[in-house]
Amino acid sequence: MDLLPNISLAAFCQQLLVGLSRTTILFIVASGLSLVLGVLRIPNVAHGSLYMIGAFLAYTIASAAGGGTFGFWLALVLAPLGVALISLAVERGLFCRLYEREHLMLLLFTFAFTLVFGDLVKLVWGSDFRSMNAPTSLQGSFDVLGFPFPKYNLFLLIIGPIVALGLWWLTNKTKIGKIAKAAAVDREMVAAVGINVSWVFASVFVIGCFLAGLGGALVAPTQNITQGMDHGIIIETFLIVIIGGLGNIWGALLGALIFGLTDAIGILIFPQFAIVFPYVAVITVLMLRPKGLLKSVW
Amino acid sequence: MSASPKTDWKKLIWALMGVAVFFVLPNFLSRFSIYLMALIFTTGLLATSLNMVLGYGGMYQFHHAVFYGFGAYTTALFLTKTGLPGWVAFVCAPLASALLSLLIGLICVRLSKLYFGMFQISLGSLVWAIIYRWYSFTHGDDGIHGIPVPDLIASGKSAYYFALIVLVVCLMIMYRIVESPFGRIFQGVRDNPERSEAVGVNVRKHQLVGMIIGGTFAGVAGSLFVVVEGSVFPDLLFWTLSLEILIMCLLGGWFTFLGPLFGAAIIVLLRTFVGIYTEYWTIVLGIVLMLLIFFLPEGVLGYIITRYRSRRNPKFQEG
Amino acid sequence: MLQVKSLTKNFDGFMAVNGAGLSLEKGQVIAVIGPNGAGKTTLFNLITGQLAPTSGTIRFKGEDITGIPPYAIVRKGLCRSYQVVNIFNRLTVFENVQVAVLSRRKHTFNLFSNARRMAVNETSRILESVGLKDMAHSISGSLSHGDQKVLEIAISLGNRPELLIMDEPTAGMSPEETEVTLSLMKKLSDEMGLTILFCEHDMNMVFAIAHEIMVMQQGKSIIQGKPDAVRVDKQVQEAYLGGDDICYA
Repeated sequence: MDLLPNISLAAFCQQLLVGLSRTTILFIVASGLSLVLGVLRIPNVAHGSLYMIGAFLAYTIASAAGGGTFGFWLALVLAPLGVALISLAVERGLFCRLYEREHLMLLLFTFAFTLVFGDLVKLVWGSDFRSMNAPTSLQGSFDVLGFPFPKYNLFLLIIGPIVALGLWWLTNKTKIGKIAKAAAVDREMVAAVGINVSWVFASVFVIGCFLAGLGGALVAPTQNITQGMDHGIIIETFLIVIIGGLGNIWGALLGALIFGLTDAIGILIFPQFAIVFPYVAVITVLMLRPKGLLKSVW
Repeated sequence: MSASPKTDWKKLIWALMGVAVFFVLPNFLSRFSIYLMALIFTTGLLATSLNMVLGYGGMYQFHHAVFYGFGAYTTALFLTKTGLPGWVAFVCAPLASALLSLLIGLICVRLSKLYFGMFQISLGSLVWAIIYRWYSFTHGDDGIHGIPVPDLIASGKSAYYFALIVLVVCLMIMYRIVESPFGRIFQGVRDNPERSEAVGVNVRKHQLVGMIIGGTFAGVAGSLFVVVEGSVFPDLLFWTLSLEILIMCLLGGWFTFLGPLFGAAIIVLLRTFVGIYTEYWTIVLGIVLMLLIFFLPEGVLGYIITRYRSRRNPKFQEG
Repeated sequence: MLQVKSLTKNFDGFMAVNGAGLSLEKGQVIAVIGPNGAGKTTLFNLITGQLAPTSGTIRFKGEDITGIPPYAIVRKGLCRSYQVVNIFNRLTVFENVQVAVLSRRKHTFNLFSNARRMAVNETSRILESVGLKDMAHSISGSLSHGDQKVLEIAISLGNRPELLIMDEPTAGMSPEETEVTLSLMKKLSDEMGLTILFCEHDMNMVFAIAHEIMVMQQGKSIIQGKPDAVRVDKQVQEAYLGGDDICYA
């Protein structure tokens, strides 16, 4: 490693692995955003807030269940469901009334929710940060080339592909997935054959938000759960979706990989401004392909 | 044609009367009210500059605060770190913001409408993050306080007059731009980019120029903020503020010229008074936005104008 | 004036236009007809630069204009109106046309003149010639469909075109509105000497006005000739067999 003399190859690999496991979470959250974007044509800005709520909910559920292994698994199941429930209420209560209106109004509505959710979290959980433990079976670390690699990160690396496959199955093999795809292309047509488009949109929206909640629950044991998590993640997922291409699940995966790796390398080279590196990657991609790497599959 | 000189005169007289009122007003106001008014002028200029891009250009300018904060930081850094005369700072701030708009614009106008908005939020957040983390240069989270504003405009009252004059001059220039051939065509681009291209308009170039104009005036507003407040902090570039400005435009009426100014006044006053009772300002803001979307999408001034027109000319309501 | 040679457009394996050719002399009115999905609109989009062709050439006034951006093509004097109403719906009728006139006069980046005093005469003249003068100050979005289609043409006139391309100028119009549009097109051709290329489903209208007709089928141009020749052509009759467009008219 001539370029970076003070970084050993092992440290580099370790950083890469950590970056990859972080990619998993980014992918899960971004694929949810991408799903909603593909079908509803809305970049749901409140997606980041739902991720944050997912993390806080996971904390609360895990502590209520005693904080042990059981608490963690319970939180992992219940927190995303809770987020999905919230989003269902929002969608059916308010959001669905705007489908006939100007597109910008829908977009602004998600802005409004970002603002409301941000403060609601502060009201419910206070301004302190929280932290949550991984279950004992996933604590500790392996040795990778002489460096410790946390078991929990390995767990994340396994979860990622499972979610990707599940999504692929959902969008390509199930009826709802096929209908959603058709509705994204031509909603009048789908309505004309007697399908309730509004409910199709609702399902897609809720599934997308569920993924945000899942991402939040998964990230909870790895970092402090704080206010402001929403802003960070929404910017990251925006970048990922932009690189990957609108509404394309594999694009989200590719985008998350590019983002996670450039970010990890950035942290090694120039920690203070590591954030610049993913941007450079995104701008390069956009210069070459203004519509993102992969085509919109919807 | 029928936009006769008579209506022009009428408008001018109203404007002059308005300005005259604001010139004598400080004599009857408390120090805090004077400060608040100056803040409204600053924010009003900021909201109007956003509306140039959003309302007249129809572009998803979702992170306008960046140009504001960038102008404010440029002013602050010039005043604190260099020994140059004060006016240099005030000239450089809009230029710096214009340059930043050019850079962000060059990348963004090539993209589709949605990507434009999303990527602008992302790029804006990058600028915010850099200013936030570059502690040695910008003092990061702490911000810069006690900025030595030139003596002439340092006191509360003189800052008020300075802000008022700058606001009036900028509004005049912006109105002129809106009514210029560029402005007319820009509105055409807003309504129908495809058709604009079909009549020979270079849409992307127009959008880029529109963004630079908006960014420049946001920079002016930023340096006004330094005069009024005497300090800068990273929140000036934060995304929440961008939303706040967006709400101002929407609240006042984003298809009217003066609407955003009204919207700014309402939001600044609301923030000040809500701030007395609760720290949860953003939730109030979010609810205001929801109410607007559902009940008043044309904004207050837009609503009044529509009503006024339909009363004078019932045919207007057809179609 | 306009020569299109073996033009193709491939949309992900679907050949929307597959070897279309067309030639136009100055002052002619030419109609493109063909069943739905024959590629008429795509052909127009290719000529006006909204789409880039996969292969083939387009020459306008002897100059190769293949693949240059739409705004640049417009500046050379080739303008179009659209099948669906495509206007600036928050601007007034007057402003709609004025935008085109200002753009032609290269005032697009003039930031400080007063637009209200510019291009007033020319804009008014255009509005008068198409019969929209009374509505000059109505918001165009509130006009009736027929009036909006006329405005659509008026906007194109603002560019002072030499060749005007019209995509189904009478689509969705009532018989009276169609009549108005027809006489307007005659006027443009006879009095202003405009060359017009249009596509249309209404065969009565096509045969009433066109000097020549080009027939398209499955992306190919199968014939271009005088109306009488086209009417009796065997290939054309085959093209429309099963297709209901001719009866429809």
